[in-house]
Amino acid sequence: MEIDITLNGDDVTFEIARSDTLLDVLRDNGYTGAKRGCDTGNCGFCTVIVDGDPVKSCIRPVSQLAGTEVETIENLGTQDDLGPVQSAFVDNSALQCGFCIPGMIMRSKALLEENPDPDEADIRDALSENLCRCTGYEKIIDAVQDASTRMSGEADVAADGGRVSTDATCHGCDCLEGGSDK
Amino acid sequence: MSRTDDPDSEDKTTDTEKIAESNPIHWDEAPNNRKAPNERRTVSHSEEKDDAKKIVTGEAKYTADYAREFPDLAEAEVVRSDIAHGVVTDIDTSAAEAMDDVYAVVTPDSPEVPEKPYTSAGQSYPEPSPWDLRVLRRTVRFVGDPIAAVVAEDKDTASKAARKLDVTYDEYDAVFDTAEAMEPDAPQLHSADDVENLQPGADYERNIEAQMSGEIGDVDAAFSKAEESEDLTVIETEWETPYQSHCVPEPHTTIAHRDEDNRYHLISSTQVPYHTRRQLSHLFDVPIRDIQVSKPRIGAGFGSKQGMITEPLTMALTDAADRPVKVETTRREQFHALRNRRPARVELRSVVADDGELEAIDMEAVTNSGAYGPHGMTVASAVGKKPLPLYTHTPNIRYEMTAVHTNLPIAGAFRGYGAPQGHLAVEGHMDEIARELDIDPIDLRSRNVISEGDLEVASGILKDKEYGRRIRSCGLDECIAEGRAAIGWDDVDQPEADHLHRACGMALTIQGSGVPGEELGAAHIKMNEDASFILQTGAVDIGPGADTVMAQIAAEVLSVPPEDVLVQPSDTDISPFDHGAYASSTTYITGQAVKKAAEEARGMLFEFASRMLGEPESAFTVDDGAVISEITGESVSIEEIGYESMYGDEVRAQVMGDASHCTEESPPPFGAQFVDVTVNEETGEFEIHDMVYAVDCGVALNPALVEGQIEGAMHMSYELATGDGITFDEDGQPQTLGFRDYDMPTTADQPPLTSLIVETHEPTGPFGAKSVAEIPVNGVPPALSNAVRRAVGVRIGDMPITPEKIAAALDDD
Repeated sequence: MEIDITLNGDDVTFEIARSDTLLDVLRDNGYTGAKRGCDTGNCGFCTVIVDGDPVKSCIRPVSQLAGTEVETIENLGTQDDLGPVQSAFVDNSALQCGFCIPGMIMRSKALLEENPDPDEADIRDALSENLCRCTGYEKIIDAVQDASTRMSGEADVAADGGRVSTDATCHGCDCLEGGSDK
Repeated sequence: MSRTDDPDSEDKTTDTEKIAESNPIHWDEAPNNRKAPNERRTVSHSEEKDDAKKIVTGEAKYTADYAREFPDLAEAEVVRSDIAHGVVTDIDTSAAEAMDDVYAVVTPDSPEVPEKPYTSAGQSYPEPSPWDLRVLRRTVRFVGDPIAAVVAEDKDTASKAARKLDVTYDEYDAVFDTAEAMEPDAPQLHSADDVENLQPGADYERNIEAQMSGEIGDVDAAFSKAEESEDLTVIETEWETPYQSHCVPEPHTTIAHRDEDNRYHLISSTQVPYHTRRQLSHLFDVPIRDIQVSKPRIGAGFGSKQGMITEPLTMALTDAADRPVKVETTRREQFHALRNRRPARVELRSVVADDGELEAIDMEAVTNSGAYGPHGMTVASAVGKKPLPLYTHTPNIRYEMTAVHTNLPIAGAFRGYGAPQGHLAVEGHMDEIARELDIDPIDLRSRNVISEGDLEVASGILKDKEYGRRIRSCGLDECIAEGRAAIGWDDVDQPEADHLHRACGMALTIQGSGVPGEELGAAHIKMNEDASFILQTGAVDIGPGADTVMAQIAAEVLSVPPEDVLVQPSDTDISPFDHGAYASSTTYITGQAVKKAAEEARGMLFEFASRMLGEPESAFTVDDGAVISEITGESVSIEEIGYESMYGDEVRAQVMGDASHCTEESPPPFGAQFVDVTVNEETGEFEIHDMVYAVDCGVALNPALVEGQIEGAMHMSYELATGDGITFDEDGQPQTLGFRDYDMPTTADQPPLTSLIVETHEPTGPFGAKSVAEIPVNGVPPALSNAVRRAVGVRIGDMPITPEKIAAALDDD
């Protein structure tokens, strides 16, 4: 059977089996940023965003997702032009083996869209379904707090890799998603 | 090494002076190895991890992400024993074989599956682990033993086919407790006839995989003296730890195929590509040259991927199915069928003088190897050998260890390697001494503990020859001072409520930097025209940032930015040899090889500069991308030399360097763990306010990465102290089959972690570095147990520490 979804802003049609999960379909089609860590919805390494909500794609039957908007890590910034959550993770050394990080970043992005100014307790609560074995979470919490600051425009632009907040305009530079003029 | 039953083992002649002489305090340190902080260009800077950007974009490729490069890739399902002990008398494969898209059903009888025994340990050669495993097993010894496998077009089909296998067993009695397993009438797991490469003290009729003991001084005499003296006190304690899962984020995965030269090529999540290649060669009788093992990004290892677990089966299956095969384990398999931290029971007795001076330590450990023996002898040895060096000045020390088989999952290597179990006993015991003698726990330790300049002999307690290593760097005093201040040791505010009691506990920690005299790291570096360098090492970055640190070491020598040193991932066809990522060795061993290789390349830069500027080679130094004459101030950029070396008129030669490093030295890093806890005496519930760990790892080559090691290791250490571990029912059936059944701390329940770095300088390490990857995993169980003891007076010595146990112990009081 086939299914139509909006994936990272593009309308796509995937050939699927009824038993496929969203993670199966994403990985089979080259979206391998989401990782398979447990297949039971307990580790969060496969977290993507569906219609604005963080979703563990390994336990979400894809057949239920017709017409939804799915966003994966591949939709965020590139290595030359990282998004604010991504650059906050890099700059805070909030990653080691990296296997949990795409899911952790998608979870953090969903949190910050919902709550742009979370305190530490909010972050710990929101991230509690995403496991990390390497970091003890300390630097990940720091990174999400830093990302919040960057996204609210409080951080200076240089610290954010030349990025300004998405609702600002950009003049005469080659930086960002937020501003289209160069 | 001396065996318990060997009468000669008591006969050791001591020659400490000779040992001290051959381990002088002075070390002939290489020039420029010691740099003041302001002279360091890139070492001791928190450089960005070289794979950070591709990780946050999702582009970093782990083994399973390579599947799409093999259009005809088949997937496999492993069929595992569902009983704890018995023999498979029949496997009916017909229904599975009849299914569409099933390419092969493999059993122990299949010609592609080797019959030979082997070890999965992934250690040096000859392996210090018994060869007691078969790729697929007719005799099953725990719930999870692999007995067959199915290869099919996809995983779903393979799983469906696997469920159609009809397995008949002859079931045996099983044993799950180490003490019961050593009883004469206990079920016997292995026969010595079926095991090769037996380890010291093996007695399979009593399910003993290995047994060793060693002694310094005369422990019995010290205890006899204590009986007669009022100034000497004897303290006895007991300790226990459960099975712990590594919880590696990336499940063990291997893709195997035959390349266009018909060689085996494995892409695999391994910590030890070279050991894996050698072990596969021996197991399959395939020449080493016909096997290539490539390591992509690894989703962490913590010792579990030192185990060669998925590789042999995948190699057999690619032959059976005649196509590329991927074996990707499930989380369920990770928890019950692969590898774990081995449970341990430790008994400790000591003799101590009234002033707190240790006269004797008598330590006995029994570890549970589970069903098979990888790392059994070496980890059981390490339970004593790792922590005892803290108190090497104790004149009489004895250590006896026994590694025992039970019908439970296989234990293997796990970050810390026996040291966490041993530290619980030794550091918990120190607090019991302090309590008995009414001495401050820190003062007691300070009176007895090792320090810089000392000759450490306790780590050689199981060797058959006298052994010693000189401690050339030790920052324990500073670690204690900084940790003590950070936790507020001297200023604990008691809660107002009478039933709440707050206290700090602490524990000292020690580890090694590589296996002394065993390991080899090698490196090759070559320059491109643009003054960038390609660095090849067999170092295996499994996540902590080893590649980044290797780049920093080379960049420091060559005075270029670290991002100009491109590090290639380990691949047995390309990289120089390396023992792999274990024993906290990479920075210390391979890092030194990288340093020497970069120095050789730098020597070639000086040769070219000498010709180009007409000055002697000895005139030159490197600074900021240029070679500069210290005599005239004339300089030539490294980029100019790059072009000259390849296209010049006079001499053309690739600027490169090669080096190996192997050493008898294994300088210990040191650290102090502190825990601040409030305990509710009515319920036993406790709240941890902070966990502080201060480490001396020599010069921290990348402080942010060092902090990451401390924080991640403390998280695991906290889990060992408070989590249930892996549990089983009375038939040996695992009760922990997923993260939902396991107490891995999340962001919501992980207490705060504070990491502190104390800098010392280790003259034998690259730019003064020692190791840091394992040591911080040792401290939380004893420090938390000690804190609870100080808060409410009860001792919880068997992990985990739970409110129920505290409440029960308070009731008993």
